[in-house]
Amino acid sequence: MAVSDALRSPAVVSTQEPAPSKPPNKFKQAFPQYVAVSPFFVLFAVFGAFPVFFSIWLSFHSWDGIGQMTWVGLEQYSYLLTDPTFWKSITNTLIIWVLSTVPMLLLALVIANSLHNATRFRSFYRIAYFIPNITSVVAVTMVFGSVFSNNFGLLNAFLTSIGLDKIEWLSQPWGIKIAIATIVAWRWTGYNAIIFLAGLQAISSDIYEAAKVDGASSRQQFWQITVPLLRPVILFTAVTSTIGGLQIFTESQVLFGASGSIGGPGDGGLTIVSYLYDNAFGSNQFGYGAAIGWALFILIVLFSIINWRLIGGRDDERITKRVARRAQRKIAAERAGTEYTDAH
Amino acid sequence: MSLTRRNFLALTAGGAAAATGLTGCGSQTSLGAADELSLWAWTGSVNDDLIAQAAKGIPGATGKKIALTRIGGDYQTKLLTSLAGKSMVPDIVGMNDDVATYFPNADQFYDLHELGADKFKDKFLEWKWKLGITPENRMMAFPMDTGPTALFYRRDIFDKAGLPTEPAEVAAAASEWASYIELGKKLKQAVPGAAITDNITSVFRYRLAQLPKRYMTPEGQYIGAEDDIRQAWDLAVQVVKEGLSAGAQDGSTDANAIITNGRLAAFVGAVWWAQLGPKNAAPKSKGNWRVTPAPGGPGNRGGSFLAITKYCKDPEAAFAFITWLESAQNQAQSFLDPVLFPSTPASYTDPKMSAPDEFFGGQKIVDVFAESAKKYPGAYFSPYDTTINTPLCDELVNVEIGSKTSDQAWRDAQRQIDRELTRAGVI
Repeated sequence: MAVSDALRSPAVVSTQEPAPSKPPNKFKQAFPQYVAVSPFFVLFAVFGAFPVFFSIWLSFHSWDGIGQMTWVGLEQYSYLLTDPTFWKSITNTLIIWVLSTVPMLLLALVIANSLHNATRFRSFYRIAYFIPNITSVVAVTMVFGSVFSNNFGLLNAFLTSIGLDKIEWLSQPWGIKIAIATIVAWRWTGYNAIIFLAGLQAISSDIYEAAKVDGASSRQQFWQITVPLLRPVILFTAVTSTIGGLQIFTESQVLFGASGSIGGPGDGGLTIVSYLYDNAFGSNQFGYGAAIGWALFILIVLFSIINWRLIGGRDDERITKRVARRAQRKIAAERAGTEYTDAH
Repeated sequence: MSLTRRNFLALTAGGAAAATGLTGCGSQTSLGAADELSLWAWTGSVNDDLIAQAAKGIPGATGKKIALTRIGGDYQTKLLTSLAGKSMVPDIVGMNDDVATYFPNADQFYDLHELGADKFKDKFLEWKWKLGITPENRMMAFPMDTGPTALFYRRDIFDKAGLPTEPAEVAAAASEWASYIELGKKLKQAVPGAAITDNITSVFRYRLAQLPKRYMTPEGQYIGAEDDIRQAWDLAVQVVKEGLSAGAQDGSTDANAIITNGRLAAFVGAVWWAQLGPKNAAPKSKGNWRVTPAPGGPGNRGGSFLAITKYCKDPEAAFAFITWLESAQNQAQSFLDPVLFPSTPASYTDPKMSAPDEFFGGQKIVDVFAESAKKYPGAYFSPYDTTINTPLCDELVNVEIGSKTSDQAWRDAQRQIDRELTRAGVI
């Protein structure tokens, strides 16, 4: 009793009579502000951070959703690496990604360029190109599903009307991939065009005027001025398209999800995320689903780095390097030239 | 309350506290008020009038009411999520014919034997009753509807092809799958493009639905590579090789189109297909369809169950509700809307069910399905049937689209099943 009193008393004293020299309690002062900003952090912790860490934990377990979780260590990952369906889903995703992203970005650039130069109905065109992006992907996919439909689709009706053979779009592996890539490209071209347009408008018209004075054709202006100066914007669209492209899911889910196999006939449209979904929520193998999720995360990081290296990088560094290389080449050429003349 | 700064701060702080409170909640509770028993079922799995009646008071359990929540899409995922959370779990849940996938977690549900289920046993189809019982003899789920199978066919198209047209004649001409395929060949010769199945997997699934054994034994042994399954596989491949499949994969837009345009002239399907298939997709074909016993014998595909979770507030009242809802009389009413085929044989003679069906040219289709339901031999469904079935059906599709030979596809399917079952620790 005496001991505890002795321990407690100094604390009581210190809170009752704060020493005048002690600085004011900063936390107490800032408390209302902390409370005001807390909802985001609390919600993020609950719905953002916790699931992320839980999914790491989950990927080391085998769990069917109800019963006990059993620790299996790295077994999910080793199964993943030897799982042919998983590798197939990666190949599928990459093929769909290339099939959609490359034409999409090129087309977006062309559209942005013509939007930039358009003189009439500018706002109308901008809105028109952006609308596909805000249309429900489910509705879009259903419409495209009937366009590509094997027996009674619009596209096949068109092909037969001009005397060509029907193509089994929704049952052949390549047909499925082209169909999905078309849906993705249709939806995101306008979005990327608007981003490119913003980039274009940031380029000073002085540069173009100077080029015109120097006699550059509009084609030269596009490739020599517009594209290089748009590089940061292109990088942005490339990285976001990569992240989006690796996460393609809804399209194959809507096209084929109603049937037993989520990837469609021959798993031609099985993407990484649809494989994840099928394992976690179709077969209730949540641990394996989590492992696929982390494999996908690693892939996205990898591809973002590749993109960065290919298109981006530090601008000034690149330019100085290029200038240095050019200078060296010039010196070398001159030296060779002098040597040549010397020898003569 | 005007939105002052002080109020705003108080509100957000309260919201944050509530958010943390939700996740921190460790208590094991069931969903709904004290006098309400919560019921989860998917759309179209119960009769609205009966539920409305039970919402006022459960017959046989005074002071208790039913509160139904219709769960749309991914029903199983939502149910698993609530069970995994151990909080806000519904008292009573519906289950599909995937009931066996819950067997490993049967301890999450009441053993209905203990609530006195046995005295209702005689009223139900024997094989259906068994499907809700685990190999450890724990009665986890109570029978709702069933999915007896039969042969649907277009009388007008059969007539045009010079084939037998009356149900009894068709049944005699196509009593086995082999004679059914012969009939299909004649049909196709007379009516080019006519098909007897929408796609390859339907033949396989419906043949499987007639077998007394499926993929596993109750002892947990895998038998999915044996002759029975291989014969069902070969049958499906043969139908496609003869050009009798319409090649419309499940869930594709073609699947409905082949019914609308009359390409699908015959189909072995379960009773619920009448509604999902011709009645929805081809209302104009009314009067042209007929039903007759399926080639290869009676079968069953689909059908559902009700189970009481261990979080239930009042298991006796829940059980009273289930037995009332699934009485022969009420099951007969559920057949009218939303077309659930009863698991109680006494319903089959109920005047509500034996009315002639105009869509089927005034045929009493109940008789055909009732025979199928009564004579179906029954089979053991294992917790891993879905896991095993998926690779088999996926590979069959590969055969149909021509990307693999039948043997190659079979080997690939068996290898995949082997991997999956090994990982699940079954073999």
